[in-house]
Amino acid sequence: MAADAMVGHIGSLVVRRLPPLLLLVAIGLVWEAAKLGGLLPITVPAPGAVWTALIDHGGDLVYHSIATLGAALTGYVAAIAVAAALAGLAVTWPISERPVFTLAILIDSLPLIAVAPILMLWLGNGTTLHVIVAAGAALFPLLVGMIQGFKSTDSTTRELFHVLSASRWQTLTRLMLPNALPAIFSALKVAAPLALLGTLIAEWMGTDRGLGTLIIYALFSFNVPLVWLSILTVCALTAVSYALLAFAEHRLVDWAHPRGTTGGRST
Amino acid sequence: MMTDIQIKAVSKRFAIDRSEILALDDVSLTFPAGSFSALIGPSGCGKSTLLRMIADVIAPSTGSILIGDHPPGKARRSHEIGFVFQSASLLPWRSVIDNVRLPGELSNKQGSRSPEALVDLVGLNGFEEAKPAQLSGGMQQRVAIARALALDPKVLLMDEPFGALDEITRQRMNVELLRIWKETNTTAVLVTHTISEAVFMADTVHVLSAHPGRLAASIAIDLPRPRHLALLQSHAFNALENQVRAALFAKEIASGR
Repeated sequence: MAADAMVGHIGSLVVRRLPPLLLLVAIGLVWEAAKLGGLLPITVPAPGAVWTALIDHGGDLVYHSIATLGAALTGYVAAIAVAAALAGLAVTWPISERPVFTLAILIDSLPLIAVAPILMLWLGNGTTLHVIVAAGAALFPLLVGMIQGFKSTDSTTRELFHVLSASRWQTLTRLMLPNALPAIFSALKVAAPLALLGTLIAEWMGTDRGLGTLIIYALFSFNVPLVWLSILTVCALTAVSYALLAFAEHRLVDWAHPRGTTGGRST
Repeated sequence: MMTDIQIKAVSKRFAIDRSEILALDDVSLTFPAGSFSALIGPSGCGKSTLLRMIADVIAPSTGSILIGDHPPGKARRSHEIGFVFQSASLLPWRSVIDNVRLPGELSNKQGSRSPEALVDLVGLNGFEEAKPAQLSGGMQQRVAIARALALDPKVLLMDEPFGALDEITRQRMNVELLRIWKETNTTAVLVTHTISEAVFMADTVHVLSAHPGRLAASIAIDLPRPRHLALLQSHAFNALENQVRAALFAKEIASGR
C-alpha cells in the first residue's frame, strides 16, 4: 500500500517536472545546432562551450562565488537586523514612522551604481564596501515588509490581548511577530536577489575576488562562454536562495495558506 | 462567589473630527450576580461601548463601573473578565487547543478547567489539533467561548458573538451557550440586535435607544429555565418579544411610521 503510494507520488512528480525539463533540453539542442550552423553571432556561445567553460573554470567559479556569497549574505543579514530595529521603532513609537520611511526612501532612491564609487573612495574596495552596498540594496523591501506586517494586526485581536492583560513583550512576540511572518517572508524573498546584485555592483568597482570580478575579467579577455557561465551562476545562486526561503516559509507559515479545509460540520 | 456588575451614571463622549459625540448618556444599570442579561438596541446606541467599558478596553467619560468590588481595570488584571468578540479573533497559526491555552500562557495561571476540558465543554472534542481556518464560523466561535472561560472569569461579556452566523446555527449556539453559562456560574452580558435571541437567552433585556445612547426600558423575562427551542413558539415568548419590540420602536410607533 505505502509503496504504491510512494511510486504514485514519484510518478506524479515526474509527470509534473518532465515537460519543462524536456523543453529546456530541446531548446539547448536547437541552440547548439544553430551555433554549429553558423546562425548565431560570436557573442552567443553554444551551450556545449559554456559546459566546457564550467569544466575548465569550475575551481575559479567556486573561489569567486564564495567571496560574493559571503559578502551578499553578511549584507543581507545586516539589512535584516537594521530593518527589524527600524520597523520595531516605527511600530512601537508611531511618531518615528514617517522619518524612518523618509530615510528608507532616500536610501532606496540613491542609484547604487552611482553611489558605489563614492563609497569606494571612503571605504576602499574591500569586503566592507561589498557588504554595505549589499545591505543598502536589500534594506528597503525588508523595512516596508516588516512595518506592513507588524501593522497588519487585527484591532479586535489586539483588544483581546488587552483584555487578557498581556504585556507589550507578549503582544509583540505572540501576536505581532507571528502575524507579520507572511509579509516578512515576502520581503525576504524580494530582498535576497537584491543583496546579491548589490554585491556584484560593488565588485565591478574593481577587486581581486568575486563573481562581479570574474564577469569583468571574462568580458575584457573576451571569454564569452565564461561571461555566460558567470551570469548563469548568479542566476543559480538567486534561484537557490529563493528556494531555501520558500521552503522555510512553507514550514513556518503553513497557516497562512491552508491546503485543505474540513468544512462539513455546520456548528 | 458570584459577582454582580454595577453601572453608575455612566456617560461616554467620543471626539470625532473636532466635534463631540455623546455615545452613552447617563446610564445606570445593575447586572445581578449569576444572571444572564441582554443589551439590545439600534446601531449607535452604545451597547458595544458599554460592554467595552466594563472590560476596561475604553474608559467612561463620567460615572463609574464596579465588577463586584473591583473597578474594571483591577477586574481585568485579576482575570475576572471573559470577552467574546463578534469575530472569533483566533490566532490562525495556533491549533484549537493552543488558542484555548493562550490566556493561561499569557498570565501563567491555570483555571479550574483544563484546556482539554474546555474544548470538551464547548463540544469540540476531536478538533483539538485543527487550525482555525479548517473550522466553520460556529466552531470558531465555540473556540472563542472556551478561550474566554479559560481562567474562570466571574463575568462573561459577549459582543454579538453569533452575529455573523446563519439563523439555524445561531439558534443551536444559543442553546449551547445557555448550558455552558449554567455550568460555569458566570454573570453573563450579551450584546445583540436580534429580539428573539435577547428574549430567549436573558433574565432581563435592557433596551437602549440611540443618539444619544440611553436606557429606554428594562424588561424582565420570567420564562422558566432550562429553556428549549420549543419555547420560541409559545405565546408567552411572543408576548415578551412584542414588549421588547414596542420599547425598541416606541418613537416610530408613537408617530405612526
